[in-house]
Amino acid sequence: MVVLMRYVLASLSLALFISALVFGAPVWPVKAAAPQDVRVVEIVAERFRFTPSEIRVNAGTRLAIRLRSEDTMHGFHIVGTDIDLEIPSRGSEATVMFLPEPGRYTFECSRLCGAGHPFMRGVIVATR
Amino acid sequence: MPVVHRPIGRCCFMPALLICLMTAPAVAQNTTQGRPEPPRTTVAGYMDLHFNKPEFEDGRVDFHRFVLLFSHAFTDRIRFVGELELEHALVEGLEEAGELELEQAYIDFLLTRAFNVRAGMMLMPIGIINERHEPPSYYGVERPFVDTVIVPSTWFEVGAGVHGEVGRGLRYRAFLTAPMNAAEFGADEGIREGRQKGANANMGRPAATGRVEYVDYPGLTLGASAWTGHSGFEFRPLFDVPVSLIEADVRYSRDRIDLRGEFAQIWLSNVARLNDTLARRIGVNPNIGRSLRGFYTEAGYRAVSGARFGDVGAFVRYENFDTQFKMPQGYLPLPEFDRDAWVIGANYWPHPDIAVKVDYSILRNRSSVIEAPNSFNLGLGWWF
Repeated sequence: MVVLMRYVLASLSLALFISALVFGAPVWPVKAAAPQDVRVVEIVAERFRFTPSEIRVNAGTRLAIRLRSEDTMHGFHIVGTDIDLEIPSRGSEATVMFLPEPGRYTFECSRLCGAGHPFMRGVIVATR
Repeated sequence: MPVVHRPIGRCCFMPALLICLMTAPAVAQNTTQGRPEPPRTTVAGYMDLHFNKPEFEDGRVDFHRFVLLFSHAFTDRIRFVGELELEHALVEGLEEAGELELEQAYIDFLLTRAFNVRAGMMLMPIGIINERHEPPSYYGVERPFVDTVIVPSTWFEVGAGVHGEVGRGLRYRAFLTAPMNAAEFGADEGIREGRQKGANANMGRPAATGRVEYVDYPGLTLGASAWTGHSGFEFRPLFDVPVSLIEADVRYSRDRIDLRGEFAQIWLSNVARLNDTLARRIGVNPNIGRSLRGFYTEAGYRAVSGARFGDVGAFVRYENFDTQFKMPQGYLPLPEFDRDAWVIGANYWPHPDIAVKVDYSILRNRSSVIEAPNSFNLGLGWWF
């Protein structure tokens, strides 16, 4: 039994060594980004509101913002950044990543969507 | 910037998210603070084509509304919004055929989320329809009666004021605007014809209007509005006509369900004197009521949602409205102005921005002499 274990360990060591030579990296899985580092936020857009309109996060938390419209096509622009994308009409959705530093980030609808379009605003508050 | 568009379906979210994570840089936004963004000008609009067939009359086709909206961002904090509306396709003298109206033309000074300043031609923040009237966004060919003869939509006026949002989903707007003109009030359509519409409007005593709204719960909007002003500027200093309006509404729209309700009531003062004065001026007593009241409830359901050929929804609405709810002393209400209506119909959306509408309106009043005609209506509305 002990001999068998030695053979197994030796084989594994050899396999790891060859793998390191060939791929330049260990063959065991790389630990993915820790789940707590990503926060999924779902924002629903409709004439003339975002729900929720206020999002509070810890700075450094990577936000995966899922955007869905209940009616027409809207826009999602975070003021002061180059994030500006279309939220497709009812039936589809868009996702964008955002990694905020400490501060307040106003987001707004960037596609003229009706008479009350200017009311479509919200804020992401990132605190330390 | 990693942006993923996809049909809704939870099973697809994780792969999309992983793609985002793998391709996202360490800091996923390119900050542009300190640099002005390029000016942005956009144009949009909506159209509303109707066929109406009232009982005992020939049917009529009316290109009811052709509306263009303009938006321009001078900077991130200074915006212009304009809305130009052509009603009934053709403009001739004395509004016999149609109207060309400047319904919005204002500048927004966006200071903070909680406090912003607006000045220019603005929509009055009252009711469900006045600020949210794009044809695909509501059921029914015509707008609700209550949002026509009690809340005189589309109600717009020149003025200035403030608006903002406090905390999560608590919004407010407060404006000072030109008042109504009581000399144009009537028994049938209440205060509707009193709108000055920013046309060399009297501003002797500004009117005040405001609205608070709670919108944080998904799909739910709770709103309350008020308007008050002295509308008798044509009769001062002999007398004035103070007018006050309160309104409350609720709307819940989630997945396939759309529910809404609205209540509005108006009070006028010195109405007996107003009626007497107008009777001497025009030869007929206008019988203006001292209180007007209306409410409606509506339920809609999208029986087909997300199909390849589009969505289909049906609705039913009950409305009750009386433009002579209370009369001044010495006047009797005319029962023909105490009305209610059932409106039943359906919308077909081949695209989220296009609505084909059909409905049947059963209109009744309390009069045994003058009948309120029912009507069959077809509509085609779109937004772009």
